[in-house]
Amino acid sequence: MSFDMTVADATSPPKSMARLFGLGVFVLLVLFAVLVPMFWPLDIAKQDYSAILSSPSDAHPLGTDHLGRDMLARLASAVRLSLGLALVSVVTAAIPGVLLGILAAWKGGVVDKLLGLLTEMFLALPGLLLVLLIVAVFPGSFLALYGAVALVLWIEYFRMTRALSRTVLASPAVAATRLLGFGPLYVIRRHLLPELLPVLLTIAAFGAASAIMAIAALSFVSVGVKPPTAELGLMITELLPYFSEQPFVIAAPILVIFLIILSLMLIAGGRKP
Amino acid sequence: MTPLLKTDALEIRTAERQLVEPLSIELYPGRVLTIIGETGSGKSLFAQGVVGNLPAGLHAHGRVHFANGFTEEGREDGRKKLWGRELSVLPQEPWLSLDPTMRALPQVVESYTHVAGRTSSDARQQARTDLKRLGLEGAETRFPFQLSGGMAQRLAFAATHAGGAKVIIADEPTKGLDSARIGEVIALLQAGLAEGGALLIITHDIEVARQLGGDVMIMLKGKIIETGTADDVLNNPQHEYTRVLLGADPTRWSPRKRPRPQGESVVTVSELTAERGGKTLFENLSFDVRPGEIVGVTGPSGCGKSSLGDIILGLAKAKAGKVAHAAGARRVAFQKLYQDPVAAFPPTITLGRNLVDLVRLHRLDASRIEGLMTRLRLDSVLLDRLPGNVSGGELQRFSLLRVLLLDPVFIFADEPSSRLDLITQKEMIELLVEAADKNGTAVLLVSHDEALVDAVSDQRIHLGTDVPSSQPHLPQRTALAANV
Repeated sequence: MSFDMTVADATSPPKSMARLFGLGVFVLLVLFAVLVPMFWPLDIAKQDYSAILSSPSDAHPLGTDHLGRDMLARLASAVRLSLGLALVSVVTAAIPGVLLGILAAWKGGVVDKLLGLLTEMFLALPGLLLVLLIVAVFPGSFLALYGAVALVLWIEYFRMTRALSRTVLASPAVAATRLLGFGPLYVIRRHLLPELLPVLLTIAAFGAASAIMAIAALSFVSVGVKPPTAELGLMITELLPYFSEQPFVIAAPILVIFLIILSLMLIAGGRKP
Repeated sequence: MTPLLKTDALEIRTAERQLVEPLSIELYPGRVLTIIGETGSGKSLFAQGVVGNLPAGLHAHGRVHFANGFTEEGREDGRKKLWGRELSVLPQEPWLSLDPTMRALPQVVESYTHVAGRTSSDARQQARTDLKRLGLEGAETRFPFQLSGGMAQRLAFAATHAGGAKVIIADEPTKGLDSARIGEVIALLQAGLAEGGALLIITHDIEVARQLGGDVMIMLKGKIIETGTADDVLNNPQHEYTRVLLGADPTRWSPRKRPRPQGESVVTVSELTAERGGKTLFENLSFDVRPGEIVGVTGPSGCGKSSLGDIILGLAKAKAGKVAHAAGARRVAFQKLYQDPVAAFPPTITLGRNLVDLVRLHRLDASRIEGLMTRLRLDSVLLDRLPGNVSGGELQRFSLLRVLLLDPVFIFADEPSSRLDLITQKEMIELLVEAADKNGTAVLLVSHDEALVDAVSDQRIHLGTDVPSSQPHLPQRTALAANV
């Protein structure tokens, strides 16, 4: 049975609350990464052999690592690096992914088939393996690292954009708009982007999480970022031998990774679109 | 005689607001009660309140009584146990209510075994008899997707009916159907009546109410404003609103008789043939459309009515034949009105934004908008709304505004009023006629409603092989006739 009167359907509050919480945590992390170097301008590579693996104190609010380096400054720097790399890779991946996705949906036919084939080739390789390969060839290069991550991430944008655009472009609304004389750019601006943006933001949040995980995982196996750079995965590797002496220092980078991924997942809505 | 179902001051409300005023009805065996009203009048809500499946947030107050003595408060849900046994709902969309993975016969057998509690051999036999009686004997082993719309509806009827329910509730049973299918549904409902069932019909289609007879209630804004036998109410309405409503029925419109307009053709179609999925829709169709002329296109669903218009506009491809547009006419002077106006607007921008974009694109004279809005009875507050937040009638008029701004020479109106209520439909069609008469815009009016097309067209094209109910004053053309 259909019903005549529309009944307002309240969006489920728990989900938006979770999103808000995720956003709050994320903002705190960004503030942490940006504000700490301003108010705590310590050199992240400066070693202090008089305070190795020290507990939190006035001089080192989050203690020091095995080389006596200040953990607060290093953590903030690591978060900045992770978020920055994630942002750059996500944006780098999104631009070709979205543009090619729209192109494939718009043109169809051979263009669509060729692009589909290309993405399937990428999908045949496990993403992390591809990143590992590229980073192994260019060790220590940030450009290679983020480029490789972007190369893995763009496929998701392409596939989602293509699928959504196909439905939108086939809709009578687009036909009506074209019939009124509007060109392709208008269709992209008024029809496609409003449909795509919420989904793309979700993919971006997931993509950022994957990028941060990938960078941390690569550093953990000593590929990618080189010391003395402060990087979350690298910090965990470096501090692993001192786990029994000072559990606190290794807990900090683990907790920060957890918080970054958690906040991004909550922002993304907790599930893949 | 005891009624099969009775409501005692049943009202539908949200926590804050009353949606349907307390209404008492009695459904007797062999009798029909039809509630007629516009979209939003609350007629469907009342039916849902009787059945006990109101959407979340709405409640029914008042009592519901059944012939077997069961009685409860409207907001309780004990009558769910009676679904299929005492009370059944004829599904509006039969394909959605049938199990797509189950053949026809077992769908009915299932109702007999699970709902009526019969043994399986008994149920099979009974189901076979039912299908035979409904003319489905050859279709027992077919899946729903292999049935025509009418057959699927009959099967759904057999399946819902097998539980033994005497009370049948049908909400808009003929919505979106062509005239042949409407006849089938009415015959089906009458078969239910003949077996001693009681019908509660919710519809906006006056013709359906007329054909079913029985009692009629007219609902306006949640209130019954007129009630009586179908004969009385439909032939001798007392309330002003009922009169307007009945007058808006296309069968009551006065035909727009006039000579065919002169002038050079805007569109000339010659020997057009179209196919869809390997099936020929129409062959060798030739006609021309003159300025200010309204060409009506009728035919059953799927006959290619809309394809014809889309081919003329270049939105679809023909298999053979030619479409010539008037020399010198701009591309944007050929426009279309869509069946579902909501689907024809960018969903995320306001109507005003859309209009501004259009004015900028074609460097139109924006001062014309105000005059057009007055003429189309559009309030300026609509400009700040999204297409989804505007009523169907207003949005369709807005589509017309958008199209008229471009000074069209030809409008393809694809079922422009099939989703509108009678009164709104009449307004919409009158505006189209006005555009044809005043601006000399040619209109290709596609509709499944023959009465409507007959009332306004200068020329009528009937597609499909069935014979149209002919109207002598119109030049007739049938697509498959040898000489068109």
